[in-house]
Amino acid sequence: MLPEFFEFYNSTRVVYGSGIASDFKAELDFLGIGKYFIVSDRIISDLGLTKKVVDGLTSAGIEVTGEFLDVPQDSEVNTVNACADQAKTSGAEGLVAIGGGSVIDTAKAANILISEGGDLVEDYSGAHTLTRPLKPLVVIPTTAGTGSEVTQVAVVYDKDNKVKMPFTDKFLLPSLAVLDPEMTLSLPPKLTASTAMDALTHAVEAYVDLQWSPFSDTFAIGTVELIFKNIVQATKNGEDLEARGSLLIASNMAGIAFSHSMVGCVHGMAHAVGGIFRVPHGVANAILLPYGMEYNFEEVKDKLAKLAPIMGEEVSGLSADDAARKAIEAVRKLNGTLNEMGALPLRLREVGVSEDGLPEIAEATVMDGTSFYNPREVVAEEILAHLKNAY
Amino acid sequence: MGLFESSEKFEEVLGGFFRLVADTPSVADKLLASKLIIRFTYKDPDVVLLIDCSGDKLDIRPGDTETKADVEMSMSADIAHKFWFGKVNLMAALTRRQMVAKGPIPKILKLLPAIKPTYAMYPKYLDENGYGQYNIY
Ligand SMILES: [Fe+2]
Repeated sequence: MLPEFFEFYNSTRVVYGSGIASDFKAELDFLGIGKYFIVSDRIISDLGLTKKVVDGLTSAGIEVTGEFLDVPQDSEVNTVNACADQAKTSGAEGLVAIGGGSVIDTAKAANILISEGGDLVEDYSGAHTLTRPLKPLVVIPTTAGTGSEVTQVAVVYDKDNKVKMPFTDKFLLPSLAVLDPEMTLSLPPKLTASTAMDALTHAVEAYVDLQWSPFSDTFAIGTVELIFKNIVQATKNGEDLEARGSLLIASNMAGIAFSHSMVGCVHGMAHAVGGIFRVPHGVANAILLPYGMEYNFEEVKDKLAKLAPIMGEEVSGLSADDAARKAIEAVRKLNGTLNEMGALPLRLREVGVSEDGLPEIAEATVMDGTSFYNPREVVAEEILAHLKNAY
Repeated sequence: MGLFESSEKFEEVLGGFFRLVADTPSVADKLLASKLIIRFTYKDPDVVLLIDCSGDKLDIRPGDTETKADVEMSMSADIAHKFWFGKVNLMAALTRRQMVAKGPIPKILKLLPAIKPTYAMYPKYLDENGYGQYNIY
């Protein structure tokens, strides 16, 4: 059966190559401007990654008009305003974002203000409020997880109203995504594992969500295969460029999948444990993914059954139910392996969540924006039962 | 040219329906729980309707362009009309820019299950109030 309606739109040019982050003048020429402003954070800068890109740009005759390195862990409206002001004053014609999800979202949101002016939350939060292309935005991810370099979404925290503001817009899609596995070499094993599990969660949730389409399915399946084949190796040997590259591509493909299909209750629960107990996003998703799959089991077992062989499970002769269970088992086995390597916790109790906090997490999951896309209605008591299992 | 011949007519039809919803506790209570102030700005014909859920009673204020709203929804009058028959997929309409929503979208999406019963109320309301010619979906 096909969905009643879907759209597939991805205007981001994606290039991949080892070392390409310091050598992408050919792609920049295509964008037709010569002055770029850098958006990144202190950690990335201290690792020398920002310099690597800037040196490449300047030696290619591109003018770097300035750098904004004060992006915090979770991007926030004041950060975006400061970043936009500096970029504007510097005379930049475009932005280069180097970092993870928070840096990329800051650059996306700042680009709205640089291009259009106005008040970020007041004028542009919501869905498809923009009416024309923004200035060129180049994104170089340094983690293999968020996929934000190819999504139509930016999430920025609004401190004044204490709410995470989502911006969804075709014009937020970056002009160019530069995937260079060398930019992810310094990720420690724990972050390698948890960010890749975030990408896996994007793929699995995009695959089973209500807003699925044959396009998002294809990208989701490709992601699942790449992650299952490479996550352990990249976690074990961070210098393995092939494994690093595979995760970077997987994260990108998962981004394309969930930018269209959205995510569901696993992200809902992860947002809640992140908001209430500060559990890192990837870790929360990794722990909760098998429990979320169980929550949705009846609604999506046929789809889960199709994922099992892609996850490396033998399913010939099995019923749809049994094959679907194999998919959940495969995720548990993967988590188990990563746990044995010391790269991933397995239970909520290991990451600072208190048992009395579970009902509050369940309530917050219901209220999360992801509930709307989840294949099964997100009900607090039912979610609570699964949270207890994950505890 | 849209389905409704004048702003006055559209405001009368849709405003009347919103007041009916406001007087239907099973729906209104859930909307009130959201505490949201939502402004609908319609085009062709042009009408503004503000729904204020921040008090103890749903307040429908036609023409209110002054109050600061949490959510601003803009769309053609025809799309709005079709929506209340339950014949518009909100996500598709947003993606296709048939509707533009400014503000916290997740909060709006959350209201969808609450307003579902109104889709059956709308055609009935049209017929019972002499607006049968608009009962087309
Ligand atoms: Fe995520």
